[in-house]
Amino acid sequence: MTSADSTSEVVVRLTDVRKEYGDTTALAGVSLEIRAGEAVAVMGPSGCGKSTMLNMVAGLDRPTSGEVVVHGDDLGRLDETGRALFRRRRIGMIFQFFNLLDDLPALDNVALAAQLVGVPARQARRRALELLDELGIVDRRNIYPAALSGGERQRVAVARALMNRPALLLADEPTGALDSSAGEQVMDLLLDLNQIGQTLLLVTHDERLAHRCASRLVELADGRVAGERSLERAA
Amino acid sequence: MSGLAQPLPSRGRGTGAVWRAARAAVRRRKLQTVVIGLVLLFSAATTVMALGLLVASTAPFDDAFARQRGAHVAAAYDSTLVSEAQLAEAARRPGVEAVAGPFAQAVLEVPLNGPGLTGGPLNVVGRADPAGPVDRVDLWAGRWPRAPGEIVLNDTPPARDLAGFGPERWQPPILGTSAEIPGGPTLTVVGVAYSLGRTADAWVTPEQIQAFRPSSTQVLYRFDSAANDEEIEAGMATVTEGVPADALLAAQSYLLVKQAVAAEPGVFVPFLMVFGILGLVAAVLIVANVVSGAVVSGFRHIGILKALGFTPGQVLAVYLVMVSVPAVVGCALGTVLGNVGAQPLLDISFQGMGFGPVGISPLVSVATLLGMPVVVVLAALVPASRARRLSAVEAISAGSAPRVGRGLRVQRWLSGTRLPRAVSLGLGLPFARPGRTALTISAVLLGVTTVTFATGLTSTVTRYADATDGNDHVGVRAADPERSTLRPASSLTDPQIEALLRSLPGTSRVTVNLTLDFSLVGSAQPVGVNFLRGDIETQGYREQVVEGRWLAGPDEVVAPSELLGERGLAVGDRITMEADGRRSTATIVGETMGGAPGPPGLLADWSAVGRLAPAHQLGNHEVLYQIQLARGTDIPAYTAAVEAADPGLDAWDNGGTDSFTVAAVSLAAVVTLMLGIVTALAVFNTVVLNTRERRRDLGMLKSIGMTPRQVTAMMVTSMAVLGTLGGLLGIPVGIVAHRLVVPIASGAAQIRVPDSLINVWSVPLLGVLALAGAAIAMLGALLPARSAARLPIAEVLHNE
Repeated sequence: MTSADSTSEVVVRLTDVRKEYGDTTALAGVSLEIRAGEAVAVMGPSGCGKSTMLNMVAGLDRPTSGEVVVHGDDLGRLDETGRALFRRRRIGMIFQFFNLLDDLPALDNVALAAQLVGVPARQARRRALELLDELGIVDRRNIYPAALSGGERQRVAVARALMNRPALLLADEPTGALDSSAGEQVMDLLLDLNQIGQTLLLVTHDERLAHRCASRLVELADGRVAGERSLERAA
Repeated sequence: MSGLAQPLPSRGRGTGAVWRAARAAVRRRKLQTVVIGLVLLFSAATTVMALGLLVASTAPFDDAFARQRGAHVAAAYDSTLVSEAQLAEAARRPGVEAVAGPFAQAVLEVPLNGPGLTGGPLNVVGRADPAGPVDRVDLWAGRWPRAPGEIVLNDTPPARDLAGFGPERWQPPILGTSAEIPGGPTLTVVGVAYSLGRTADAWVTPEQIQAFRPSSTQVLYRFDSAANDEEIEAGMATVTEGVPADALLAAQSYLLVKQAVAAEPGVFVPFLMVFGILGLVAAVLIVANVVSGAVVSGFRHIGILKALGFTPGQVLAVYLVMVSVPAVVGCALGTVLGNVGAQPLLDISFQGMGFGPVGISPLVSVATLLGMPVVVVLAALVPASRARRLSAVEAISAGSAPRVGRGLRVQRWLSGTRLPRAVSLGLGLPFARPGRTALTISAVLLGVTTVTFATGLTSTVTRYADATDGNDHVGVRAADPERSTLRPASSLTDPQIEALLRSLPGTSRVTVNLTLDFSLVGSAQPVGVNFLRGDIETQGYREQVVEGRWLAGPDEVVAPSELLGERGLAVGDRITMEADGRRSTATIVGETMGGAPGPPGLLADWSAVGRLAPAHQLGNHEVLYQIQLARGTDIPAYTAAVEAADPGLDAWDNGGTDSFTVAAVSLAAVVTLMLGIVTALAVFNTVVLNTRERRRDLGMLKSIGMTPRQVTAMMVTSMAVLGTLGGLLGIPVGIVAHRLVVPIASGAAQIRVPDSLINVWSVPLLGVLALAGAAIAMLGALLPARSAARLPIAEVLHNE
């Protein structure tokens, strides 16, 4: 098992991050560091700011104040295009509802991420095939998302997220839309990824997922970090 | 807490909820609402203009004739052979609807060659007033004569804008002018009136007419049935029964007048009708496309409404209200716009024809106001009914569930190309959604077809106008020494006049035309032959040949279609003509669409004069010189120069395009523009719907690093494909429609059009049209694509 220590590179640094939507405060001064190889789970009740924080780290949204630095990029200083380039190079994202392109088969959904970076189609497909193979769904490569099971779709999404070898894998309720069996498969997958050194940031309601995959738990409440502790991963 | 379990009191049938949901839907879909409103606005305006023109063009003469209660027959009786009492008695017989007269009438020889009173015979009738049961004359300027020495002329009223309203009403310059009648009084023009049936050239008081020793008595009849020559003859037989055989001197049927008066609009009416029908059909189809697209895109919303407890009927009502609100507003505004826009066109179209004020029939506005919303409701009803039948889950799924992808091979091939991924994704998008793609292509195809067809029709109408206009700017003729009192006879011979004209500064080309009448053996009526020399090519006759060929020798003639139709002749026929007791033959070698100025006549080369009319003594006043001026030449200055060079020459400005041509071309341009706007809006709407439908995909693509520029490029590319495809399909469809319709329309006007009027398409024009589809689609895509590029990803991905 690979785990981060205090000498590892800081991949994510949030410094007093605030996010306000009109009169509503979603994040009220969050500071957090994630080091390379860590698997951090963020938990908390609905509306506590989990997804907002994830969006900040992913560069999908800008903070109202504070600083979000991911792999050396200060996301608050990047424009829309800059953040798009950051996303395609530095991070991979997994969503609760998979967010695959319905019009593309599994293989092309995965290859797409590399092609956006400029990787030639043949090379991108070869890498996508490798990933699908590693994730055990290579035989489903030509199937469209609508014909895949939930677990298979999430594996395709994971493969796509890993396509450009991201420094950080972000997962927003990755098992939320899956049955227990498929959820277990995805948990195993994330654990395996972290064990080979992939930095993970999970947002979840699922304590089992957190305890299974994460090495550290961050609890949010009312837009603030309410607690933080290391986790012993469950077997 | 126990209150939560209490049922809420139920009120009514949920109409309030339907209205609230519909209102919310309208508010939420601001852009779509605006687009539906604008499409309906322009569609309704086009419909009003098209239908209005259609109705007005169908029977402008009949409508005006009915308003004037025109005389079906204007009969002239020999007053020495039949008494007024006899005529009155005969007019009371069954079958006679109304009668006016008897009025005394006389023919005056007017020497003055002034405005309105051209020299020659003037048929004057003595009438006490312009009203009466028949032939209610439109006194549009001045007043009716009250005393001897006063006369009212028969002339067509001016256009509405010239006539004006109120105290500044335009007065014709002839009012107040006088003419001295040889051996009679001096007559002062006190008014100008118009009789559509042309029952007289002028009117004086019954007392005044007696001074002119009237030779006949006029009686004006309206019959119960007068639709054709047979019914007119039957009517005349009734009213002349018992009248001395020779008493009836002449009987002028309104059908002859109608034929003559309606000739000019007759050529254009079929084209205008085609435009009307085209505008109507295109407007209806586009409205149906836009509205059904709006409903289809709302399936998920429909599912949510059902899940909330809306009944199928209420869901249907929500969607009908949602599309009807902007539709009704747009339709009402469009009807107003159509009325405002069509009136000037109608005024131009029918000015100077004496049809009176030709307006948009109120029925047209009513039909549009009722009909267009019905079209909208019907268009919405089909998809909305489908949504009504779906269960809530199915409806939600239809709007948002993952779809099974299509077009695998294309997608795979595209993803393997060297194209930027944003572009290849854009190219592949249309193949994934065949239904939506079909809707978009149909919108573009319909639009490009319409614009292609309308553009072609405009070109045809313009070329027809150019071809028949003759391209001669100035006409010149020597004064007739026997008739002209104002102008001295010219001492120059025909060749000298031509040489003089050619020597004047500004003269570019001169065509010389001599028209002589011949008896046509085998035909009761004579035929005119136009002998041409000089720069004949400027007249464009050669380009107007629709069958056979142009003249090649002195024993050949070319005939316009109208003449061939009238006389039952055809190209290849050999005809025998007679003049001055001498017969000669000629072969008809070609058929032209139009002919020389004046009644339809044969065209022959000048060299044929010696062969066909060797004994004819040519008078210089018989020859018409048609002059094309060099660019930039001042026409009034040129005509003045001609008359200064030889006071015996009369030169006039002949360059104005006739008003109906202007109207037809203007209308074609306006309808084309309006349909272009509606088409662009329809495409825009489809693109907006496409983009909205792909919000989640776009959000996802952005989440994995697609830049805003790439998102825009992808969406614009996807629409450019459809636009290009629709454009490429629409062009041939439009051209085929044009090629089919133009001969039908021109055939209805009894003319055959040459290929040059049908082959109006040039490569640059086709290129522009081909690009138009893509350009419209890309422009339509640009705004929503840019808005898509700015989509807040987090919001989209979490909401979806």
